[in-house]
Formats: sequence, C-alpha cells, structure tokens
Amino acid sequence: MNSAEPTHATETAEPQHDGDSDATASPRADLYDAIGWVILGVVVVVLSLQMDRLQDRHINPLTVPGLVPGLLGVGMTIVGAILGLRSWSRGALHQALPAVAENQRKRRLRVLLAVILCCGYSAVLLGHGLPFWVASSIYVTCSILVFDRMSSDPVKRRIGLLTVAKALLIGVLSSVAVWLVFERLFLVRLP
Amino acid sequence: MLQGLQDLGSAYLSFMTPMTLLYGLGGAFVGLVMGILPGLSATLAIALLTTMTMSLDGNVAILVLICSYVGALYGGSRTAILLNIPGTAANAASCADGYALAQQGQAGRAIGIATSGAVTSTLLGVVFLATLTPLLANVALKFGAFEFFWLALFGVTLSGSIVGGDPLKGWMMGLVGLLLAQVGEESLYAYQRFTFGSEALAGGIGLIPALVGAFGLAEVLMALSDPIERKIHDLTDSVLPRWRDLIQYRWTVLRSGLIGVFTGLLPGVGEDAGAWVSYAAAKAVSKEREKFGKGSIDGLMAAETGDMSSVPGHLVPVLSLGVPGSAPSAVLMAAMIIHGVQPGPMLIVEHPQFIYHVVAMTTLASFAILLFGLFGVRPMLQVLKVPRNILMPIVFLLCAVGAFAVASRLFDIYVMVAIGIGAYFLRRRGYEMAPLVLGLVLGPLLDKSLRRGLVLSDGSLVPFFTRPISLVLATITIFMFLLYVPQFRRAVAGVGKTIARGARSALGRSGI
Repeated sequence: MNSAEPTHATETAEPQHDGDSDATASPRADLYDAIGWVILGVVVVVLSLQMDRLQDRHINPLTVPGLVPGLLGVGMTIVGAILGLRSWSRGALHQALPAVAENQRKRRLRVLLAVILCCGYSAVLLGHGLPFWVASSIYVTCSILVFDRMSSDPVKRRIGLLTVAKALLIGVLSSVAVWLVFERLFLVRLP
Repeated sequence: MLQGLQDLGSAYLSFMTPMTLLYGLGGAFVGLVMGILPGLSATLAIALLTTMTMSLDGNVAILVLICSYVGALYGGSRTAILLNIPGTAANAASCADGYALAQQGQAGRAIGIATSGAVTSTLLGVVFLATLTPLLANVALKFGAFEFFWLALFGVTLSGSIVGGDPLKGWMMGLVGLLLAQVGEESLYAYQRFTFGSEALAGGIGLIPALVGAFGLAEVLMALSDPIERKIHDLTDSVLPRWRDLIQYRWTVLRSGLIGVFTGLLPGVGEDAGAWVSYAAAKAVSKEREKFGKGSIDGLMAAETGDMSSVPGHLVPVLSLGVPGSAPSAVLMAAMIIHGVQPGPMLIVEHPQFIYHVVAMTTLASFAILLFGLFGVRPMLQVLKVPRNILMPIVFLLCAVGAFAVASRLFDIYVMVAIGIGAYFLRRRGYEMAPLVLGLVLGPLLDKSLRRGLVLSDGSLVPFFTRPISLVLATITIFMFLLYVPQFRRAVAGVGKTIARGARSALGRSGI
C-alpha cells in the first residue's frame, strides 16, 4: 500500500523527512498530484474533442481518432478525482507536507546536478558535431568530479590534480570502449 | 506431436555451434552483471542489447536477449542476499530470507540455493513454454478485434492492481502509458494525434527510448541522488548450488515453479508477482513458518523459483497472443519485431519453428546461468565494488546509445531524458513504472482493436459482450476491476465463505 497510512493528523509538530523514505507521498502530496492529474485529464479530453472528426471521409462517428484519447482523458480525470478524495479522507487538508530534513536537501541537490549533467550531455554535447567519444569523455569526467565533490567523505571531496587525472582517464577509457564496442564491433550508429 | 518433437530437436541442434553458444553466454553475462548492479533491471539489459545485436542474425540476437533476461533475474538475487537490495524488482522477495542467511554467515549457501532453484525452475518453465504456447496460439487464432480489446484492457487493469501497492497510482500510470501510446500517427486513418505540428512526434514515442528512460535514467538518478552508499556483505562460505536443499524442498520448487509459470501467463503481472505469490504460498503451508523472514531456506527457494519460472511463463502470451506480461518481455517482443518476427496468433502459421527456437534459447539460458553460478559468482561480484559515482555516468552513456541506436534519431535521446526525469519524480511519489510500460505497449492494440471492432460492428457495442471468448474476457476484466471496490470484495468473500461452509457440511454428511 501507499507508504502514507490513513491518518488524520492532530499533532502540531511537523513530521521530519528521514531522507530515505519518500515522505512526498503523504496525503497532502497525493492531493497535489490528484489536482495535476485531473487538470491533465481535462486537457486531454478538450484536445480529443478538438481532433478532426473526418466527416469528409464519411467514417463511423464512433471510430473518430479522438475516441480513445478522449476516453483515456475521462479515465485520468476519474482516477485523479478518486485519488484526491482518498487523500482528503486521509487528512490531506489538515496535514502539512513534512519538513525537509538535511538528508533530503542533499538528495535534492544531488539529483538537480545529475539532471543538469544528463541534459547538458544529451542536448548540448551530443549531435552537434563533437565526436561521440569526446562528448562522452567530457560528460563522464565532469560527472565523476561533481559527485566526488558532493561526497560525504572529506578525503573524496578534495579535488586534486590526481583526482582530475583519474576521472579524465576513466572518462576517456569508458567512452572509447563504448564507441569501439558499439560502432566498430556491433556496427551500431552512434550520435 | 511427433512433428513438434522433431521441430524442437532441430531447434536445439541449430544452436549447437561454438559461436552461437558464445553469444548466448555473452548475453547471460551482460544480464548477470546488470542484475547484480542494484537498480539496473532486466528491461534495461534487454533494451541495450537489442541495439547492440541489431546486426546479428535474428535467432542469435533473440538468444542473446533471452539469455540476458534470465541472467538479469538470476543476478538480481545476489544483491538481495548480500546487500538487502534487490538487483531487480523480481528479487525483492529474496531479500528477507537471503539477507538473513547472509547475516548468519551463510551468504554462499543462500547464493547456492538461488542458483539451484533458478536453474530447476527455468527448466520447469521451459516445459510449459513448449506445451502451452502452441495450445494457446491455436485458441488465439480465433481472436478478433473484440477479444484483443478486452485482453489489452485486462492487462492494464491487472498491472495497475498488482504491481506496487497502490492500485490507484498503478492505474494512473497505466492510463499515462496508454496516452503516450496515442501520440503520433494512428493506424486506422493515419491521423496525427498530439503532435502539435512536430514531425518528430508524428513517429510516436518509441518503446525502447521510453523504457531506457523509465528504467535506466530514472535508476541512474535514484542511485546518484542517494547521499549514502551501501556496503556489500562478506561472502565467506561456498557458493556452489545445494542440490541436497533442492531435493529436500522439492515440493516448494514444484509448487513455486507452477505458480511462477501461471502468474507469468497473466498480462500485466510482472516477475515480482510470481516471487511474492510463491513466497506467500510456501509460508502458508511450510513446516518452518516461524523461520520465514529470519533465514528460511524454504522461503528463499520459493521466492527464487517463483520469479525465475515466470520468465518462460511470460514468453507464452508474448509468442501466442502478442501481449507481453511484463516490462522485460515487452522489450523482448519489440526486439522480435525489429528482427522480422511478429509475435501473436499468426506466429504459429507464419513462423511455426520460432516457438521451438525460443524454447531452445530459454533452455540454453538456464544452462548459461548454471555455468556462471558454478564458476562466476565471486569475480562478478567485484562489479559491486565500483563506486556509483563512476558506474552511473557510464550507465547513462549506455542509455543514450540505447535510445539513439534503434532509429538513429536525436529526438529519441530527448524522449529518453524527459521520460527518465519524469519517471524519477513519479517513483519518488510512489508511482510504479511497470504499468506505464504496459500501457505504452498495449496502447496501440487497445486503440486499434476498439475502433476496428466498432467499424466491424457498425458502431454497436453488443459484439464486445456477446462473442463467447469476448464474453469470458469481459467478465474476468470487469470482475477483477470490481474486486477493488470494498463492498464488492466483501460480498465476494462472504459468498466464498458460504460456499466453503456448504461444501464442508455436505462432505461431513456424506461421511467423506
């Protein structure tokens, strides 16, 4: 079942995030999700209704292209509404979102950096003329260095010349290996 | 019958070349390593290998993929035992007893039990794969648009309810998957839906980029976001398979093997369900019930045999109906299509040999994991010592290659990244990705079947409920759905109890 048990919160103290379990799946978070799903469902229904009915082709009105998307939109709206009602019955309006603990703050920062690195690699480095192995070497090296810097171990956090050289070596070796195996051995086109 | 055996024999012989066997071992090796690494799933292993094996002969490529599928599920139990983290979702049931055994200094024994259980149950499942697939395929030849509509709906209904713990969130993910499948040009009138004028979107959302995103990138983000890195448990005793344990717990192996195969047959029920149902069944009848969760051999054997035998079970609906039961089997089906084999009812007519080839491939896969179980466990566990800061960026590199390679489109990398980031946040909020994948796979089938059925019936819904097979599928689907309404569930339980009481008293009166 959902990690959030049905509780009507009466306590005044705000629950703390432990950072491991995701307390964002609390009734309040579910309520926000439900609102988002209902909006998405309604948008899908509206877009489906606006789709061409292909009347000029004299097709059966029950087979219009918007039929299934429209039904799915209705389904999403209904399931979203039930989710909202359930979170309300579990005390979503009385229970605040849990306070963010230190661990959770670290997690958010780490994921933000990982997303930036992944997006940078996919959207900027790949497919814009840079050879695959060069782009990949830059990405892997930067990732290793960034997450070493984020480490809880003070020794690992120190970025010296040796750490940079090691990260660069791993980046180049892994990228060249992927390039050789995929493009040369298995004849797969790479970006 | 004789023809079937002859086909099976020639299928086995066709794989008996050193190069083909080497490819099979390679596939199992990659699968095992992926399975050992927590979070990297069988789905990702198959998706990445699909791109790597595109230039190979179709049968060899599918052999590699099936070996990696079996290998990944087998490899996943290693981390469940040593780290208390399931390598794949299917190995979650092995955590409780496997890790407890490791804490008692019996990690090697637990791994040995996993090996013997995995090999035996995969071979047991292969027998059912060989016998059930042709039978089901003959029934499926009678399927039309109406029946396929119900089958697709049944899959999504089940996936929402069984995968994960929250049916509402499961169904929502199933609906999102079905919606994503509607993007692009539809098959009936070639009308472009939700493309907003984008040429790239007209081709639709590719299954492999979506899967690599949902299972690969999301996992990379999960691993990198965790501030704490877990340490591996020591492995001191022998990891050789324990055949004595296998003989002692033979009924558990047989029962869990059967449960795994039959849960595998159900569309939408993943390998983890096979493991959990087997575990629960073993606990219900075990003589050492109190040991469950504290290092029970019976419990570990049940969990391992249940998930492994579900692999051949999943292949039955893929081959006979063209409906995958789980995320890895969905990628496998996509790979079969890429290699020119269209799974589904017509497979037995167009490629009758292929079913037996798959049987031979799955058998070889079980021998490959036995080989690695005997000789490769300790060296392969070294991969767990690679820090995630190094491993995860390389995995993302492979994700980008995997997403790009199928169609050579940069757009697919963007799709993978978008779905991966979305999947990460949804998973953090308690949403499972398996129903999304199933929705994505079943979406085109649902759309096509519903509208084609309506064209055939001239807009009437009656044939959806009156054709014999349709009626059965509709009844099961609606019944399954209604079971999630508490009042209905209570009423069904009440009726069940009354019937059981009646049967007991009738038996008592007749003196049986």
